Amino acid sequence: MQEISSDLRLYRHLIVMQIRGQMQYKLNIVIDILTYFAVTGLEFVTMLLYFVPFPTMLGWRVGEVAMLAAVTSFSFGIAELFGAGIDVFDETIRRGDFDRVLLRPVEALILVASSEFRLRRLGRMTQGILGFALALVLLHGVDWTPLKLIALLIGIVSGSLIFVSILLLGATMCFWTVQTTELTSSLYYGGREMLSYPITIYHQVLQRFLLFVIPLAFGTFLPTCYLLGRPLPLGLPVWVTFLAPAVGLGFASVAVWVWGFGVRRYQSTGS
Amino acid sequence: MLRFYIEVARTAFRRQLIYRWANIAGLITNIVFGIIFSYVMIALFQVRSMAGGYDLEDALRYVWLVQSLVMVVLTFGWYELMLTIRSGEVVSDLSKPCDFYWYWFSREIGRSCYYVFYRALPTYLAGMLLFGFGAPLDWRLWLAFMLSLPVGAMIGIAYRFLFNIAAFWILEARALGTLATVIALVFTGNYVPLPFFPGWLHTIADWLPFSGLMNVPAQIFLGKLTGLPMLLEFLRQSLWLVVLTLIVRAVTAQATRRVVAQGG
Repeated sequence: MQEISSDLRLYRHLIVMQIRGQMQYKLNIVIDILTYFAVTGLEFVTMLLYFVPFPTMLGWRVGEVAMLAAVTSFSFGIAELFGAGIDVFDETIRRGDFDRVLLRPVEALILVASSEFRLRRLGRMTQGILGFALALVLLHGVDWTPLKLIALLIGIVSGSLIFVSILLLGATMCFWTVQTTELTSSLYYGGREMLSYPITIYHQVLQRFLLFVIPLAFGTFLPTCYLLGRPLPLGLPVWVTFLAPAVGLGFASVAVWVWGFGVRRYQSTGS
Repeated sequence: MLRFYIEVARTAFRRQLIYRWANIAGLITNIVFGIIFSYVMIALFQVRSMAGGYDLEDALRYVWLVQSLVMVVLTFGWYELMLTIRSGEVVSDLSKPCDFYWYWFSREIGRSCYYVFYRALPTYLAGMLLFGFGAPLDWRLWLAFMLSLPVGAMIGIAYRFLFNIAAFWILEARALGTLATVIALVFTGNYVPLPFFPGWLHTIADWLPFSGLMNVPAQIFLGKLTGLPMLLEFLRQSLWLVVLTLIVRAVTAQATRRVVAQGG
């Protein structure tokens, strides 16, 4: 327990250090955040154009899809912010920098995860906020209950955890392949795109994959269904929504375990 | 001199051949996104069978055509020129005994040709196999498509050259480049086909240069654009190519006048 809290303290310290460094270039940060806001906002609004010629998507109205996309993009935005160091891990391996990381007397994962914290990525989170506001307008409000709020919060946190875990699994592969494989980015970016729409539109196999193999649907689709009072896919009972933290933590533990296995097998790139 | 530029293009084509794994990786991404958007279309067309003059088969062809062509006309995240400006390597390109713009233009043409064969064709074929749609059989349609697509690709080259060259004034122009790319992709129908846009937005999109990137070739490919309207669209596309090329050349001349080579 004490080890975990000291790890977290170190992580916070490393992040704060980077934020301080980047705050030296305030104008740059502001411009970057605004530009990314424009980019993600534009992408989000464009998606809604589907609903000009089509009234619904398999029974989902525009506001409901907007809510789903907002929840997904929020989870993804958090993952982008905190998982960046893991995302560029193939560079770290190729340059041989990971050897240096291993020499330090702290957990390697902490150093890797905290190595690329970029404030400007905050701009990508704004898509979630904008989408959320837009969805509330389009839905004419939601009947909030404490349980719905809880479902939403645990969903977003679990969703980000699973997104970061996908990156971690991809990074682990770099120990053998040196390069990030496209499998990772297909799962990471493709997963985000896939979950921006109701998963019921996909093939049965794909739906089960998103629920039970890479359980991203637990972080985004199930809580959104709960929020909107829609039945869960595959006839799952409603309480399954609240398993999200367990599923997220479970998936993350597997990813961390695989990572640890990779670190022990690491043999440097020899360059 | 033309011989030289052709040689530059061929070298770029050959250089691209080396990145075999990167291309396969990109191919997988295109296919994954093709599958996602196909399911989106299938779900949408449940409520009505026609939208904006498209039926489901048209929509599926469109989805896969976009995935096939996007690397040919407008590579996402192309900052090669910007990086040479930042590192100073641009000086060596500027002092080459050829025109700076046509040099890069030839390189990018070579790259686009590569993507036609090694990305566009396999992607579209994968879509045909997965979702069982066809390709046009009319040779006149193919001819028109093959005339329109290169114009689109050349508009794409001029456009990305333009936002890359911004690096002569601002060093970190990547965010700007992303914004510029996304605007172009939205208005060329990369996310949602232009025929699905509300009328007023469609009219605006028609007059922007981006329609010529992918929308015009795609509409021709789907057989939605024929006869006189096609000729007019082709004219508008070509006009934008000329205008953009002139703008790029003017801006490049302006930018290179400012270059001071350190130690040179």
